[in-house]
Amino acid sequence: MAKNNLLPSGLPRIESMEMRGIVKRFPGVLANDHVDFDVKAGEIHALLGENGAGKSTLMKILYGLYQPNAGEILLNGQPIHIHSPADSIRYGIGMIHQHFMLVDSLTVAENVALGLKSSREPRLDLDRVTTRIRELSKNYGLQVDPDAYVSQLAVGQQQRVEIIKALYRGAALLVLDEPTAVLTPQEVDDLFAILRQMAQDGHALIFISHKLHEILDLTDRVTVLRDGKVIGTRLTAEVTKEDLARMMVGRDILLERVRPPATVGEVRLKLDRVTAVNDDGAPVLRNVSLEVRSSEIVGVAGVSGNGQRQLAEVIAGLWPVTEGRIFLEGREVTNLPPAEMLEAGLSYIPEERMHDGALKEFSVAENLILQDHIREPYSKGIFLDFRHIARHAQEMIRKFDIKTPSQETPLKNLSGGNIQKLILARELARKPRVLIAAQPTRGVDIGATEYIHNQLLQQRAEGLATLLISEDLDEIRALSDRIIVMFGGEIMGIVDNDQTTVEELGLMMAGEKKDLQSLGVAR
Amino acid sequence: MSGELSVLAIIVGIAHSGLRLATPYLYAAIGEMFAQRSGVLNLGVEGIMLMGAYSGFFVTFKTGNLLLGLLAAATVGALMGLAMAFVSVTLQAQQGISGIGLFMFGLGASSLLFKTTLGTVEGVEGFPELRFCLSSLGLNSNYCLSQIPILGEIFLRHNILVYGAFALVPIAWWVLNKTTWGLSIRAVGQNPQAADSLGVSVARVRYVTVTLGGMLAGIAGASLSISLLNIFQENMTNGQGFIAVALVYFGSWAPLGVLAGAMLFSLVNALQLWVQVLGLNIPSDVAVMLPYLLTIITLAFPFRRALQPAALTKPFERGES
Amino acid sequence: MSKRLFWPLTLLVALALIAAQCAAPATEAPPPAKTEEAAPAKTEEAAPAEGAALDIEPIRIAIVMPSTTTDLAWSQAIFDALLRIQEEAGGEDVVEIAYSETMFNVTDAAAALRDYAADGYDLVIAHGTQYGSSLFEIAPDFPDTSFAWGTATDTGEGEGLHNIFAYEARAEQGGYVNGVLAASLSKSGVIGVVGPVEAGDAKLYIDGFVAGAKATNPDITVNVSYTGSFGDTALAAEAANTHINAGADVLTGSAQQVVGAIGVAKEKNVPWLGTQSDQSPLAPDIVVATQLYDWHDTLLDMIKKHQAGELGGTAYQLTLKNGGLTMLYSDSLPEEAVAAAKEAEAGIISGEITIDIE
Repeated sequence: MAKNNLLPSGLPRIESMEMRGIVKRFPGVLANDHVDFDVKAGEIHALLGENGAGKSTLMKILYGLYQPNAGEILLNGQPIHIHSPADSIRYGIGMIHQHFMLVDSLTVAENVALGLKSSREPRLDLDRVTTRIRELSKNYGLQVDPDAYVSQLAVGQQQRVEIIKALYRGAALLVLDEPTAVLTPQEVDDLFAILRQMAQDGHALIFISHKLHEILDLTDRVTVLRDGKVIGTRLTAEVTKEDLARMMVGRDILLERVRPPATVGEVRLKLDRVTAVNDDGAPVLRNVSLEVRSSEIVGVAGVSGNGQRQLAEVIAGLWPVTEGRIFLEGREVTNLPPAEMLEAGLSYIPEERMHDGALKEFSVAENLILQDHIREPYSKGIFLDFRHIARHAQEMIRKFDIKTPSQETPLKNLSGGNIQKLILARELARKPRVLIAAQPTRGVDIGATEYIHNQLLQQRAEGLATLLISEDLDEIRALSDRIIVMFGGEIMGIVDNDQTTVEELGLMMAGEKKDLQSLGVAR
Repeated sequence: MSGELSVLAIIVGIAHSGLRLATPYLYAAIGEMFAQRSGVLNLGVEGIMLMGAYSGFFVTFKTGNLLLGLLAAATVGALMGLAMAFVSVTLQAQQGISGIGLFMFGLGASSLLFKTTLGTVEGVEGFPELRFCLSSLGLNSNYCLSQIPILGEIFLRHNILVYGAFALVPIAWWVLNKTTWGLSIRAVGQNPQAADSLGVSVARVRYVTVTLGGMLAGIAGASLSISLLNIFQENMTNGQGFIAVALVYFGSWAPLGVLAGAMLFSLVNALQLWVQVLGLNIPSDVAVMLPYLLTIITLAFPFRRALQPAALTKPFERGES
Repeated sequence: MSKRLFWPLTLLVALALIAAQCAAPATEAPPPAKTEEAAPAKTEEAAPAEGAALDIEPIRIAIVMPSTTTDLAWSQAIFDALLRIQEEAGGEDVVEIAYSETMFNVTDAAAALRDYAADGYDLVIAHGTQYGSSLFEIAPDFPDTSFAWGTATDTGEGEGLHNIFAYEARAEQGGYVNGVLAASLSKSGVIGVVGPVEAGDAKLYIDGFVAGAKATNPDITVNVSYTGSFGDTALAAEAANTHINAGADVLTGSAQQVVGAIGVAKEKNVPWLGTQSDQSPLAPDIVVATQLYDWHDTLLDMIKKHQAGELGGTAYQLTLKNGGLTMLYSDSLPEEAVAAAKEAEAGIISGEITIDIE
């Protein structure tokens, strides 16, 4: 702990911040239900909960983006009112949003200066801003070039800009909303080192995450939210992963996945030097070659936006291949329409499930037969056979543990986890030869995640070839036999899961190519 | 054939005409550029120009005071800009459609006002051409700087609004790139959520830019009715406001780009007039198409789209990202 | 289509619309039918004394025009004549006038024409060559309505239509006279013409003008430029400037755009020769002569024919001879110039001068 009352930025500390009895209602939802939460100088306090538990809402209230329906906020014991981000900035509260609040087309210094009074209004004083940024960089170990354009920076560097932005504005209390979601493992380590230093220097930090090991690794206290309510606040040193998972979900959760050894079979999916471009003609996939075999899960890791989505869509026939070829069970399927890809034995769980994977106004039963509704046994001629459809729906709901009031319920009334289970059920019911699963557990609660993971492993045992695309490295590590790392639309390396390390994967995620021989393409 | 016309005289003529023709485009396009840089597409520029042209003309016609006329044009333009801001920022209406509505309003209202208050095309004494004569400095000489060969002939015989239009370019550049306000505009047009999270009022920035854009469009209209043509006629802008909007795209949302676009368009227009006047054997239809063709070709270059403000035409709502 | 392309494309469409507006009036007129040399003026040139009631029944007239009623040119000329008839006939109770102006879009104009006919107007006038093909589709549906259109010579009799009048101004006649005048006035030997679109009435006028100037002084240079638009006032102004820079010391031009050019002529003190409507109120010292279109007698004859049961079939012409075209000369003009002009007028009327145009 710092001995005096000033932070390295030269500004006063926030000794304590308390939120008491915060209530926030949205139409039909009680997002925060009398939430009490507090943080002190020198402490990292984790806020843990499933998607929709109310973490982000609580923090948006603290930052002035939402107004609470009830409750109060105290700063150093004094009640304060926060009506807008400008207010919270004035009180010394800074926020690092999950989606960075940076203007790509501006430089780092311009992003920092944005919204601040200049020392020589109306002219900008970017030279002074630059000097101050350099000071802060030095004091906090946040290396960043003030003159660089944000669009040129790596994600980890962009996050440093966000932190500098907050510090520059005198933030003594910093809220970090899922700050590790987009980082490589090394970048996470760097970030944690910085955050620990900041806490030591007297900052108060709130760390929002749903990754249990990060919370155990970094924080001093942890508060768990579920359905808008506080389930409890604990000293991090006194809890285990299992404790936290139980608090989050309300029941015991098996966190470890058992991936039994399996004998891989024949090559089911093969990409040979596939290249694809976007609307503007810029390549999004370059020379991608890979193979997925029977009884194998191949994980595709990488920081968001490095071509994973396009990889999935290219295979599903939704994105045109400009060069190269794709084979399904030895048969060339390059640029076939999606319907023929399905026919050929491909199943696809899309990344944007509410957008691409299902129709939210349709019922559960209807969604379960979306692709197959024109085939027997669901239809006879041009008519749908509703008896068969209903029977099928019932079976799926039971088998895949889909929690729904009835099979007639519109899909939009289901939780994210249950929607994903439905999509998985539908795709697996088709008895596919190859499954592309893109972000299958993103935004899905731990309980459903556990279920989906086990289903994927069971299908593996039954011979399915799965390409698992995920930005969650833990998920990739838990399920994959081999791991492909993508960066800038290229494959950086293909490694055996049991013989690699997080460090090796992290380097590749940051764009470091593994030596060519190990790419194993031309095998 | 006008054999005795020297090539130099023609070049001077083209350049001089080009500067005059570019004037209304510069006012309107620089104004529109501010609006678009903050994320608002105002397609009503044409209508604002017409109302500005009418107001400037009418007030000058009635009072004989040019500055009062200019003020009237600027005020009416600003008010119409304010209306556009209200509709697009506060009501979050679809910007393209509300802009077209504003254009139709300006077209109809200026015609109606013309019919009820003037009834026929009248003339006024507009802003006079300046000549920069030494005598005005109290020097005992008849010499005027406008007589300086070539440079004086091109640059030193225009009225004050022409100079104003060109002065606007560096001013706009300075405001946009060197002031805190310009930084806010650039940020709001690119990532309003980010600007908002730092306490910049997205609504206020957009209100100011769209109102300013309206004011400049009003002055653009006045530059026709009380400085270049010195008359008012219904629908006299004849599509110039739309070309101004196109010039903003052409100029990649930068003052210098807009200047380049306006000058290219105007010089080619001046050139095609000379081509016809000199009787060069090109069909007039082809000649008058040249400037438009050029604009369209340039607009078609895809690389320019990358420079487009990312939030252009998108209303802002706090909390969404 | 990617979203980013949307606005640039919208702008292109807007540009295309502007271009279409420029191009629309250039529609070719149907081939001239047998021209019946103006029957109307049974030398009723001397219009009835003001105030005297015209001998006509109440009638409802509708007119669709490409520009405004105050354009100081093409549309204003005919609209002023209609107003005069209305006044002479005893006001709105006798002659009801409905009009649609700035109908540069032919589709809109066609809709307006049909609406007026359906609304029971007795005489529906389509004041533009470009409206011809629409008119020929509409007229058969309203056999009791009289239609009129110009600049045109085709009354549709060849297609079995009997309810269409055609009218044109022999603009080349006054153009020729103005050309003679311009050649007499010019000291530099260069004359500038600010044309709108190279077609129809404007082309007739300008061709006549060039012929008149050349006939007076074969060495004279007549520089002709077109702005490509009837309404681009700013470009017309710049065209006038360019002509002056190219040495022109007399200017003329056609269509509503010329008010811009007249403004420049006034500023540079260069004499202007007008056509269609009287533009001298705008610059009394500069507009030194005008070929005035007087549609009064033509329109009145149509009204009378209509009320006598003859719904169409006549092709009218405004000529110097029948008084549909009149020349106005400013007092400031030198006598010999006016004398030369009046000689040309007389020559055209007598047939001694024939004007060769394409």
